[in-house]
Amino acid sequence: MKRFFLIVAGLFMYLIQSTAWAHKPSDSYLTLRASSNSANITVRWDIALRDLDYVLQLDRDGNGELTWGEVRQHSDDITRLALSRLELSSAGKPCAWVTTAPLMLDKHSDGTYAVLSLTAQCASLSSALKTRYSLLFDVDPSHRGLVQWIAPGTENSQALIFATESAEQTLALNPAGAWQTLRQYLVDGVWHIWIGYDHILFLLALLLPAVLVRRNAQWLPTPVLSGAIKEVLKVVTAFTLAHSITLSLAALQIVSLPSRLVESAIAGSVIVAALNNLRGTIEGRRWVMAFAFGLIHGFGFASVLADLGLPQGALVLALVGFNAGVELGQLAIVAVFLPLAFWLRGTKFYSVGVLKIGSLIVAILACWWLAQRLFDL
Amino acid sequence: MLNLVRHSAFTLALGLTSLISLTAQAAPYTPATEAEVVERLPGRASDPALRRVDSLRKQLAARPNDPALRLEIARRYFDMATAQGDPRYMGYASAAIAPLEKSAPDNADYWMVLGLIQQFSHDFEPALASLSKASELNRSSPEPLLWRAAIFMVEARYAEAQIECQRLAPLNKPLLSTGCSAYVQAMTGQLEPAFKKLQAAVGNTKNAGPELLLWQYTRLAEMASRLQRSEVAEGYFKSAFNLGITDQFLLGAYADFLLAHQRPVEVLKLLVDWERSDILLLRLALAGSITKDSRADNWAAQLRDRFQAAALRGDRLHEQESARFQLDIERNADKALELASSNYQIQKEPRDAEILLRAALAARQPKAAQPALEWLRTSRYQDPAIEQLANQLTTQGVTR
Repeated sequence: MKRFFLIVAGLFMYLIQSTAWAHKPSDSYLTLRASSNSANITVRWDIALRDLDYVLQLDRDGNGELTWGEVRQHSDDITRLALSRLELSSAGKPCAWVTTAPLMLDKHSDGTYAVLSLTAQCASLSSALKTRYSLLFDVDPSHRGLVQWIAPGTENSQALIFATESAEQTLALNPAGAWQTLRQYLVDGVWHIWIGYDHILFLLALLLPAVLVRRNAQWLPTPVLSGAIKEVLKVVTAFTLAHSITLSLAALQIVSLPSRLVESAIAGSVIVAALNNLRGTIEGRRWVMAFAFGLIHGFGFASVLADLGLPQGALVLALVGFNAGVELGQLAIVAVFLPLAFWLRGTKFYSVGVLKIGSLIVAILACWWLAQRLFDL
Repeated sequence: MLNLVRHSAFTLALGLTSLISLTAQAAPYTPATEAEVVERLPGRASDPALRRVDSLRKQLAARPNDPALRLEIARRYFDMATAQGDPRYMGYASAAIAPLEKSAPDNADYWMVLGLIQQFSHDFEPALASLSKASELNRSSPEPLLWRAAIFMVEARYAEAQIECQRLAPLNKPLLSTGCSAYVQAMTGQLEPAFKKLQAAVGNTKNAGPELLLWQYTRLAEMASRLQRSEVAEGYFKSAFNLGITDQFLLGAYADFLLAHQRPVEVLKLLVDWERSDILLLRLALAGSITKDSRADNWAAQLRDRFQAAALRGDRLHEQESARFQLDIERNADKALELASSNYQIQKEPRDAEILLRAALAARQPKAAQPALEWLRTSRYQDPAIEQLANQLTTQGVTR
């Protein structure tokens, strides 16, 4: 009867609400990393000691405390249990398990976990990799296996959750086809030019005078659109050509420059391009400047590409995709800039407000970047 | 700096799960000595409840086809899960009764325990069905009816809850059916009469067990608080504590009462030993942040870890607390609103409505509060605090 009252007491209160206190439900954590040059999968598997104790009775003296000795003595049992509950297979053949390091421990938010270091030797990684997970499901159906899967040739992990109703899953063997790689890097390229303010400002600084011509030390509106288009084309093409060259050289690790130098030089290039608009010294040959500094900007793109991680199997594809993305991003900027600038070119607002004051602001901003990058502020 | 911005933007764009791998992947270590204690198991070996269930598990190995034994084990694990708030025990209970679905489909107790486990993981529809089956198989048991009423209350299905309360009446348990009805009434525009009814019921049952009294005192305290009789509420909370039962629900309700009355220092004192409880840790962190306590950052960090771990496994059980954490500690109104909205699709108790209203207000998205405002209108729920939130939302342009 007492228990019945207890239930009544709990009723209508927060019992139904949420009753996870300090404890969380049981989870194990798996990182599966595919090797890019063999058919092996390296596995790190973290399993809560508390869960292992429930199944294997690790706490032999029953004092409620697990010592490292009690755990270590059972490392074979632990490994055997784990390996009987995780199957990997490729091409219809199960992968063979090899233990690569002795059992270790790690702390998670809810306690200490055993860390298993394993390798699955599979027949091949050319067809889909099937996995079957069943750890603890027989004693605790609310258990989950939380997987980070790192496919061959990538650094990006994909999250999967094994549960009683999703015990069997297929691991996607990236690198997802050539088209997907190309598309992904293309998007990255576009994205990069859009968020790389320094590249945008450099380009715009060079393009601002394209709708004007310089006569007698004065900026005058260009009479025809074709003149402006020709000017823009020259600058954009030179910039593209130059940064494509250095981006490729750097990405293929033929040339490399220290990143502080590159980043500082990029800031410097923005200053020069902006100041040139105030004086107009190299009018007519801005494409030369675009080319020269484009070489520096290429190194900047390369460092971003390096941060992204290049798929070893599809290096060229990624490079082409990224570069094409940068071009597309640039074209989008030009497509907005050119009609607007051409329309406004005769106004004082453009020749003074945009060209002079705008360039000045850009130059000041770039000076700040330069200082930041040189002195690591 | 620019590089950093660029890099993080890229990380975002690619949808890398680096955060996840960071939390799950610290460097493993090897302890220096064999004698080093690496983990303390919950529930001392001397814990009689644990000892008993361990011995029952051993018996089960010899008698795996004994339904009564399986149900006994499941019940015990269920009680441990609710008393200690440890969801692993709920998993063990679930495993214990799993074979009975085929071997004992006509066992009322099987459906009862299954319903309890299902409601715990918020599978409300299956739980209602299981409990209904339990009730059909054992017409004289009030337990499945009470639980069905409780689930309907959480889902704000008051008419259906009232029907379950009425079905309790012929079972000769007047106390239960009165308490049940009073609770439904208090939610549906009859707070004052419900309060009096429950007050009278408490007065008439001097020999009720302390657990039942605890429930009644806590409910009365909450109702008094909603009626803005703070001293009366305080008195009922005191009476509840004087029963000498340690109860996390009571602690949580009193902590909320103190927080609502700007008494955070007392919350710190009340809950100082309760870090292990998620819901009480949340109250500690709230009080700590108000009082600028030196431990507040640590409490917030612990909560962050726990919510992150729950999110990793796709758990939606803690969205209400998580929303409150995002709103009051992390000050991320948008995230709080997202969680509160998602939570409100499943749970519709007053506190679920309250966090949705508050988050919508803070995020300046009054429209998102519509479901909670709708509930307030149709249920005629009375609480000045919630009423005030609704009024504030009206000034932001939402119609009630």
